Amino acid sequence: MAVLESNEMLSLAEKTVKLALKKGAAEAEVYVYEGQATNIGIDLGQISKSNRIIDRGVGVRVSTNKTIGFAYTNIVDDQEALENIVSRALSAAKASKPDPDWKGFAPKKPYSSIEKTFDSKVADLGSEDLVNVASTMLDSAGQVNKKVMAIEGGVGNAYISNAIANSNGISGFDKGTVIECSLATLAKDGNTVTPVCFEFNAARTYNLDPAWVGREAAKLAVSALKTKPIETKSTKLILTQFALQDLLSYTLVNAVKADSVQRNQSPFKDKIGQKVASEDLTIYDDGLFPSGMRTWMFDGEGVPHQKTPLIEKGVLRNFLYDDYSAKKDGKESTGNASRAGYLSTPSVDITNFHIMPGTKSSDEMLSQVDDGLIIYYLQGAHSSNPVSGEFSVVATPAWKIKNGEITYASRGVMLAGNIFEVLKNISVIASNERQMGQLISPWIQVENVKVIGK
Amino acid sequence: MKDVLTKINKAATGKFGAQYAEARAQKLFKTMLTLKEGRVEAAKQGIENGVALRVLVNGAWGFASVGSLNEEILTDALSNACKMAKTASLRLKTPIKLAPAKTVTDNVKAKPKKNPSEIPMEDKIKNALAFNGAILGFDKRVKSCSVDYLDLTGTNFFVNSEGSSIEQDKLYVWSRITASAQSQGVFTFSREEIGSTAGYEVFDTSTPQVIGEMVAKRAIAQLNAKAPKGGSFPVVLGPNVVGVFVHEAFGHLAEADLALSGGVLSTNFGKKIGSDLVTFYDDGTVDGAFGSFKYDDEGVAAQKTLLINNGVVSGLMHNRETAQKFNTASTGNARAEDFRVEPIIRMRNTYMAPRDHSFDELLGGVKSGYYFKSFRGGQANLDGTFQVGVQEGYEIINGEIGEPVRDASISGSTLETLFKVDAVGKDFQLWPGRCGKGQTAFICDGGPHIRIKEVVVGGSA
Repeated sequence: MAVLESNEMLSLAEKTVKLALKKGAAEAEVYVYEGQATNIGIDLGQISKSNRIIDRGVGVRVSTNKTIGFAYTNIVDDQEALENIVSRALSAAKASKPDPDWKGFAPKKPYSSIEKTFDSKVADLGSEDLVNVASTMLDSAGQVNKKVMAIEGGVGNAYISNAIANSNGISGFDKGTVIECSLATLAKDGNTVTPVCFEFNAARTYNLDPAWVGREAAKLAVSALKTKPIETKSTKLILTQFALQDLLSYTLVNAVKADSVQRNQSPFKDKIGQKVASEDLTIYDDGLFPSGMRTWMFDGEGVPHQKTPLIEKGVLRNFLYDDYSAKKDGKESTGNASRAGYLSTPSVDITNFHIMPGTKSSDEMLSQVDDGLIIYYLQGAHSSNPVSGEFSVVATPAWKIKNGEITYASRGVMLAGNIFEVLKNISVIASNERQMGQLISPWIQVENVKVIGK
Repeated sequence: MKDVLTKINKAATGKFGAQYAEARAQKLFKTMLTLKEGRVEAAKQGIENGVALRVLVNGAWGFASVGSLNEEILTDALSNACKMAKTASLRLKTPIKLAPAKTVTDNVKAKPKKNPSEIPMEDKIKNALAFNGAILGFDKRVKSCSVDYLDLTGTNFFVNSEGSSIEQDKLYVWSRITASAQSQGVFTFSREEIGSTAGYEVFDTSTPQVIGEMVAKRAIAQLNAKAPKGGSFPVVLGPNVVGVFVHEAFGHLAEADLALSGGVLSTNFGKKIGSDLVTFYDDGTVDGAFGSFKYDDEGVAAQKTLLINNGVVSGLMHNRETAQKFNTASTGNARAEDFRVEPIIRMRNTYMAPRDHSFDELLGGVKSGYYFKSFRGGQANLDGTFQVGVQEGYEIINGEIGEPVRDASISGSTLETLFKVDAVGKDFQLWPGRCGKGQTAFICDGGPHIRIKEVVVGGSA
């Protein structure tokens, strides 16, 4: 199915806003989404699956008398279906309760230009191209060691576009591409099975190294085969991006959202301007980061993306706002309204969470650790206390660092503590920046984390 | 609808050379609510129509999903899926085959006492507000309360090239209630979920008063809780934690696709991996339970599957593809979240069978340990390492429940831990939940209270 062009997407959004106003909405906002994705799948060591998913839809948010209603449909080529969801959004609003804090939809503002978010080469890849990438990745993993099993993975490309219009005159269209390849492996030796290890590349423009992905995924699995128990104590940890992404998404990320703060769910409440972390730590939320996985011209309410300082040299600077939470605090939205395509109303979320790199290389960082652990994958991070930041998770596995070198793996090692204490105990931030989903970060070394061995 | 799908399947096996083809069409209606501190953030409704096409060509899968019921668009998507499958098959070593399955023609109707699609939005909002009232009214230290509500109704049409043709109603009612409390710099968080495939009548038993009070009480009790000690301890687990333990520590390993991927059960079939007291089921037939359905998304009837019998691994959960590899029949565990995704092996209602101990007898055997009553999150790994987070826990001292502990978790190796189950209670509860494996599936898990001789407790003290 051919993709909808920008004028088709925009006119669908604008036309539906008008329809909602005509049918009695005080205000209206319409979000149109289209995604076309192809994926070649690896299962049990071979390429055996393919899929193509075409998903498009319209979400309509209306207000009447300070009550909000929302309806969506994926039937976009039918006037009757559009009329139907506009009526449903209105009837939902009428059934709802007024919100005295409601001050209308977002105002119109100019958009900044963004870089490296669309690549026609990515959009045009065919399934043959994807099969070739998958083969390279698999072959490369297979050459590392016979004990490695490539259990699952794949190569995929996606074209995504969205349009937004509201009754304040917002009218925006943006399109982007994503390409990714990933491989999950484990190694088996006799009765010993390692935890699942994983590597991937993901980018907005054509920038893949499938041979590296395959090789690294296999190497990590092999290095997890040799294990020894470790003792229970407080120790140094090097947290790689995998571990940081898991730990921070369920804790720190909640704490910087303005709605969490307003709802007394953030330990950062009333702490703007105060020191909340080691002075080595500087974090921006950067919705304009070139080639960022979450870089778009505007957010889910049509507000321009921006770069917002969150923590500078350990000092808390700002919270992240959507239009509603901003108006509640008498501020302006930071462009952090996020949507799950056309299916949801916007809610506050990070864009690209950028932890600024330090000066030491990762090798230098490693070489200066006499005794500690390096952590890649974690299990159970989502069971952290999202309000207090307390966590109790398993490293799958943890690798022991002795005299500056990674020596062996240890299984079933638990890490427990509070993320906000961990932030204060950061001792080194490396320079090896890497993008992982919404996180852009280098490795981070922290001191004194409680580790429970066997 | 079925005629179009039959035509598509004919084209797949005829014109496009597929060995097997199936088409799954859905017409779905959703109502959703999000309330925060009693503010209705938005009252939401959704309409979704779409078709999933899956074909097996030269031993490789092709899958296409489109949000349209239009025959021309479907034929185009089909031709593309067959072409992709051919391309994907080029380097195939082991072609995929399917275990035989019965051909089924059926029409399954939901029979709710209270059909959510007939309950006015106003009443759903009133009910959600009642949860909010029960929670925020419980204690001043409760600072926030979120109520999420979802109901999904609609029809699922399944037609495959072997002659099966199934029309099946879909009906889910779900709610998640969370609260946070704060006092003197301590933050606590508490959560419960409600879920049913029976109907809106689930709120007649899981009332705002009962569930609301449970959530609020826990958030308040945790304010005075201390951090648990890290290390190995004997524990008594409540049905809510046992359910997640069964689901995470064993259930995922018994999904045949993960067993084939090198999971620890691949070499333990028919072997004893736990104490005699350990019997687990995955059961798609529990009336009204959140993980129940009549036919799975490959058209295979759901059943009650015995996974471990008195400590011995007796069964795995299969779809038709893995069943063929194990020379057995599908257990009806192939589930797809919706028409956007392919069916994969998922759990249904997974539980441990009760035995004969009373709760006091279980506690009585513990000198110094923990009672973990309610979970927050859990995860498993193919090597058999599990982790289950705990949102409500207490010390056990000399067989008596002591002070509350907060933010604990347990972890260990499944194959070691199942041998350490030394007493199993006679009570039984099932809890609704959602499981993530790339897609979300609605499930239940549960069991009786149990005692484990020794497990690693992750605590910061």
